[in-house]
Amino acid sequence: MKQWIIGGLLAASGMMAAGLVTGSRYEGEREEHGKRFGFSLQDVAPVQNARYTEECGSCHFAYQPGLLPAASWHKLMGTLADHFGENAELDADTAAQLRRYLEANAADRVYAGRSRGIANSLRGMAPLRVTETPYFRRQHEEIPQRAVQGNPDVGSFSRCAACHTRAGEGVYNEHTVRIPGWAGRGD
Amino acid sequence: MPQQDRSIRVWDPLVRVFHWALATAFLAAWLSGEEWLVLHVAAGYTVLGLVSLRIVWGVVGTRHARFTDFVRAPSTVLAYLKDVLTFRARRYLGHNPAGGAMVLALLVSLALSAVSGLALYGYQEFTGPLATMMVHAPHWLGHALEEAHEFLTGLTLLLVVLHLAGVALASLQHRENLVRSMFSGCKQQELS
Amino acid sequence: MKPFVLVTALLAATASPVLQAETVTEVQNRYRTGGAGPFHFERGERLWNSRQFQERRCSDCHGADLKQPGMHRRTRQPIEPMAPSVAQHRYTDPAKVEKWLLRNCKWTWGRACTAQEKGDLLEYLKRL
Repeated sequence: MKQWIIGGLLAASGMMAAGLVTGSRYEGEREEHGKRFGFSLQDVAPVQNARYTEECGSCHFAYQPGLLPAASWHKLMGTLADHFGENAELDADTAAQLRRYLEANAADRVYAGRSRGIANSLRGMAPLRVTETPYFRRQHEEIPQRAVQGNPDVGSFSRCAACHTRAGEGVYNEHTVRIPGWAGRGD
Repeated sequence: MPQQDRSIRVWDPLVRVFHWALATAFLAAWLSGEEWLVLHVAAGYTVLGLVSLRIVWGVVGTRHARFTDFVRAPSTVLAYLKDVLTFRARRYLGHNPAGGAMVLALLVSLALSAVSGLALYGYQEFTGPLATMMVHAPHWLGHALEEAHEFLTGLTLLLVVLHLAGVALASLQHRENLVRSMFSGCKQQELS
Repeated sequence: MKPFVLVTALLAATASPVLQAETVTEVQNRYRTGGAGPFHFERGERLWNSRQFQERRCSDCHGADLKQPGMHRRTRQPIEPMAPSVAQHRYTDPAKVEKWLLRNCKWTWGRACTAQEKGDLLEYLKRL
């Protein structure tokens, strides 16, 4: 009986130590209000706002809010009239609504899937493009130019869904990648 | 717990809980791979925690849990393996020398797998206790870590297969159910 | 009972194109109250095909055949066909029509279109 107790205590403390170590200083710098734990089986929590999908997915892939920090979304939503050289104006109400949704579900606001890693990689930066986050760059550092920019079927790293076959669901893992016109998997 | 008057407790509860928890954690880690990173990482942390725990217990634990009980010189291990292959192997209550070597090998392999995984986690996902260290790591190191992690975990799997074979063989040779013993903790004191 | 159901069903089936025509008319009427009009198909067609700001044209993204899907020339996202005869659901929300006219005029022409120009464009599009 005594051994069960000792064993249990040791096991519990062992795992607790591991857990504490994971909540380490490196992520501690993001200790602000409004952060929530989200559990996501997907790599990034999928979009759950129909308005966002409609308004922001009509010209390009509907990037999940968990791909960028709140500051980036804030900047983007404030400059829609010149959205990477295009006009994406919205009425004030819709814009405000969408901005709230994006900021509330941004990478540095919800601990879901790989959003945590994305936020960690930024260290205060707030780029406007997902492709400019250090996280993105590291994940794609082994992809040659000719597979993307030089590939007529892809053209740009910004076109997530061109290669990530389940990007729309928030699933980006290597096994779901198929670069069109490119032999083999995306690895 | 003893079923007959010649039954003896060999494996304490911690050893048993640890053993099956570790098997589950490794299996979970193996199956979750790239697809379910959250689960994979949790399993990896669990492996690391369990291995650390076992090492401590191997120093201060019950008789057959201690490393001193079953860790033997390589020459002894090889001699024992030879005996196994010629059906002359002696039966041990605790781990036999080959089993003892396997315990060490698995602990080392699992620990290295978990640590390489942790480093890779820091490099690729910018998360975890090694993240700060890996932020500025050069690309070749990240790539090497990935290869190392794949190799080490594959090696662990191989060891697991050998371990299963060894347990089966020993069970057959000495006509005892070693798997059941790892659940109940008990073995027959002497075999007829 | 049965004839009633049948008639209702038939009406419902035809409602969509009716809705669509109503939507465009509704928008055009708003322009008319602002002093614009009359609206001409040929003028709309000419506007649609003209090169404007930085040599941009509507057909750059929407394509030459409006019964076929277009493609955003930068993101390569497919755009549903513009012709109501093929994609009438795209003309059921006046707010949506206005939104796209605002954005796309500004981008293609470098400025918002006048009510007259928008009316003409809709006159052209609605007949396709």
